[in-house]
Amino acid sequence: MRDYFTFVLKRLLQLAAVVFAGISAAFFITHLSPISPVDMIVNRVAAQSGGDPLAIQDLRDALAALFGTDLPLHEKFLNFWGRFLVGDLGPSLLAFPTPAIDLVMRALPWTVGLLVTSILLSWTIGNILGGLGGYYQNNRFLKAFGVLAMGVQPIPYYIVAFLLVLLFGYFWPVMPISGGFSINVRPGFTFEFIASVIHHSILPAASLVIVGLGISFLGMRAMVSNIVTEDYVTYAELAGVRTERVVFFYVIRNAMVPQLTGLAMALGGIFSGTIITEQVFAYPGLGSLLVNAVNAGDTTLVLAVSSIAVIAVAGAIFVIDLIHPLLDPRVKVK
Amino acid sequence: MRTWKTLMASAALAAMVGSAALAQNAAVDLPPITEFPREQTLIVHNPDNPAANPDFFNIWVAGAGQVQAGGLHQLMMDTLWYIDPNEGLDGSLYSSLAEDQWEYNDDFTEMTVRLREGLYWSDGVEFTADDVVYTVETLKSNPAFGAAAGLNRNVESVEAIDDYTVVFHLNEPNSRFHSTFTVRWNATWIMPRHIFEQSEDPTANAFNPPVGLGPYTLHSYDPNGAWYVWEKREDWERTSLAQYGEPGPQYIIYRSIPNVDNRLIEMVNGNLDMIHDLTPEAMFSLVDQDENARGWFPGFPYAHPDPTLPSIIFNNQNELFEDRRVRWALALMLDARQISMASYRGAATLSPIAIPPTGTHLADYHQPLQDWLIDYELDTGSSVINPYDPDIGLQVAEMVRPQFGDAVPTDETEIRQAFGYGWWAQNLEAAGELLEDAGFTRQGNDWYTPDGERFGFTLKTAETGVINRFGTMAAQQWSQAGVAVTAEVDPVIFGTTLNLGDFEAITSWTIESWGGDPDLSFFLDSWHSEFIVEPGERQPARNFQRFEHPELDRIIDELRVTEFGTQENLELGYDFVRLMVDEMPIIPMMSYNVFAAYSEQYWTGFPDAVERPYANPVTNWANSRYIFTQLEPAQ
Repeated sequence: MRDYFTFVLKRLLQLAAVVFAGISAAFFITHLSPISPVDMIVNRVAAQSGGDPLAIQDLRDALAALFGTDLPLHEKFLNFWGRFLVGDLGPSLLAFPTPAIDLVMRALPWTVGLLVTSILLSWTIGNILGGLGGYYQNNRFLKAFGVLAMGVQPIPYYIVAFLLVLLFGYFWPVMPISGGFSINVRPGFTFEFIASVIHHSILPAASLVIVGLGISFLGMRAMVSNIVTEDYVTYAELAGVRTERVVFFYVIRNAMVPQLTGLAMALGGIFSGTIITEQVFAYPGLGSLLVNAVNAGDTTLVLAVSSIAVIAVAGAIFVIDLIHPLLDPRVKVK
Repeated sequence: MRTWKTLMASAALAAMVGSAALAQNAAVDLPPITEFPREQTLIVHNPDNPAANPDFFNIWVAGAGQVQAGGLHQLMMDTLWYIDPNEGLDGSLYSSLAEDQWEYNDDFTEMTVRLREGLYWSDGVEFTADDVVYTVETLKSNPAFGAAAGLNRNVESVEAIDDYTVVFHLNEPNSRFHSTFTVRWNATWIMPRHIFEQSEDPTANAFNPPVGLGPYTLHSYDPNGAWYVWEKREDWERTSLAQYGEPGPQYIIYRSIPNVDNRLIEMVNGNLDMIHDLTPEAMFSLVDQDENARGWFPGFPYAHPDPTLPSIIFNNQNELFEDRRVRWALALMLDARQISMASYRGAATLSPIAIPPTGTHLADYHQPLQDWLIDYELDTGSSVINPYDPDIGLQVAEMVRPQFGDAVPTDETEIRQAFGYGWWAQNLEAAGELLEDAGFTRQGNDWYTPDGERFGFTLKTAETGVINRFGTMAAQQWSQAGVAVTAEVDPVIFGTTLNLGDFEAITSWTIESWGGDPDLSFFLDSWHSEFIVEPGERQPARNFQRFEHPELDRIIDELRVTEFGTQENLELGYDFVRLMVDEMPIIPMMSYNVFAAYSEQYWTGFPDAVERPYANPVTNWANSRYIFTQLEPAQ
């Protein structure tokens, strides 16, 4: 138990170091962007009015002072960490003066809802079918599914998404193709609202599941195909262990470890959103927020999204590291 | 098995967290939902991305106007005057909150405005001169307001003489001060004093729900910022728009739909009545597939020419482009027909002169200057040529006719209106003579500068879209003519590259006009040499070509003391056009054509180029509010 405790402590320090390095890297990369939020705003104001050049210059100076964009980089870096440590990510520059974290928290539930559901669906179904497909190599249904998965998986995601829009939005228009819920439904814990959210999420979720399913199916099947030839599996079968037990506890459990890491990373990766899904289906979420922030040079918002993403990925890996020794006896804590 | 259960439990937990968060997100206080009967509802595409801060309606804060084009400035805001980029319902100049046109004193240091009586804010409070005075004083007092700088530069003080008369005292003579309160896309909107004076920091006031002078109020909106529903005010008659009749739709919904294909599908499916813009290809397939879908022109090229002039802009501070003969040679190397085909699939409206070929400009400038252009002589050093080909527009129409057949107009006037009058004929021989006259030499097909260097440069262009295709084609034509030009995409043209002068040549625009009035002050005032900065420094809008000329300064100086709408004003416009042709500091190419579409499935009365050119159909202009008064349900 003491070993495990030391192990946790070590991993915890590692986590802190990774988070610090990740967010700092995000800070510097964000500040390398040639896009200045001040110029984007000034440009918008100037492009839409005949404003005189000197007034435009005044506006530019005023905004630069307000946003603090004229400070030297090291000062901005220290300011950023000073605020970050007390939980203040600063105001968004794209939607000044709204705090960046408010914007993130507004978009986050949609991304989490959509991605958690679709990742878990594709991961669970893909792994079970993949495990069975690897074990029962002669089953016709599983074989056919394998061929299908191999056929679909290489199709670029945006093509799949676009095909769904065309099929169910145009040729057979039964599904909504934009938005998170219907305009004439009032948000709240009501049947109408939840049904509308689910209805609107079917196409985006289906596009993610169709592509994600193939990946976990093929990965799992390949691993299981190797494991079934191991001596201990043959031994268990010869010893008369029940087939389901062999499949789930001798084979799939052993093949599960890398898949679980993949799952954790996929779940952690949720926090950067799914840009293409959101664009194709006009679905709310973090991806579009991030893209808009990058295009507007909104460094605060980009950093808010990327900080959360860094913490989420590092956190997910940390949790997986902690449970690995418990799941897989071959992993020693020392 | 325990592991498996743990996993399933975690999955369930994660899903619960997700939905709980979702529910929290949904806890936004909205008015009761009513159904939106389709025959009473107009659904409009908002080209902006979903607002990141959908609850923030304070349109005056610089950079915070994310809801602006989602109906806020079209339906709720109002100010003194509007100027239409097209012909308007009753002339292009509308007096909105003002009862009449502006009045200046003799030296343009005072502007007096008489306000319309009987107008009310949407919460029932009467609109008076105090609101105007409050707006100006409040905006001046805080630099975070987008209009602060301009008002501080211009306004010394503002006073209400009585409830309906306001006098602005200006710091310096300015004959165009009224443009601050004249909507062309937008302008400085009047604030409701009774709302904002209650907040300590007016920049922090979210202005939710907004209180406006327009004929609609906010009904409900998406907590994710993708749509806004506006409902007609019961007392719409107490707004300035009422003089043009009752707005048709009871509800107007603005929807952000970032994906072009989805816009097309939504219109075909009857879920969208007006689209802000499509790609040329999407427009062609929309009219092909939806019998109710229309564009600005009844046939090809469909698109609405915006009063914006995409051009090739030379950096006139770069010594490569110092000589006008070189700039002219480069212009004569281009084939406008190919550029039209490459950029807009032929649906471009070409312009050889530095005025966008749109709105009333065709009648004010392009038509009257035809003879001058036809007779225009260019001395190449070896010969004198007439570079202008008045029939390029007709030729492009013939090029697209095999593909688009009957959709292409046959009437010459209609063709010229849609495809442009003419352009400079490609003339490689004359271009060569000009370059040789400027000391350039040719080896094989390659041109060399007087210093013996290979003549070439980089042409920066947009990342995607028609402007990108325009730049790529121009670079290709120059390369074929022996000038080593490379097209390079630049993601930060506006705000960065253009301002810093970080280019040799670039495809963009520095000319945007009122559209509905020949006055050129909207862009031209900023072209005065007093604003030009040193190379490497940031050039404020809009003389990004950094071109200076004594004649240009003379025109601007005179324009500054000339009234709107006078013959003198128009003559100065002609002088400007002639100077730009002589000097060619930029190569004007075409108007920025926007493939705006509307569907007549549920509503009729939309503007079009031929029968009802009363407004710009592009949905994000605040001016588009006049359209709503003309709409009637389709039977």
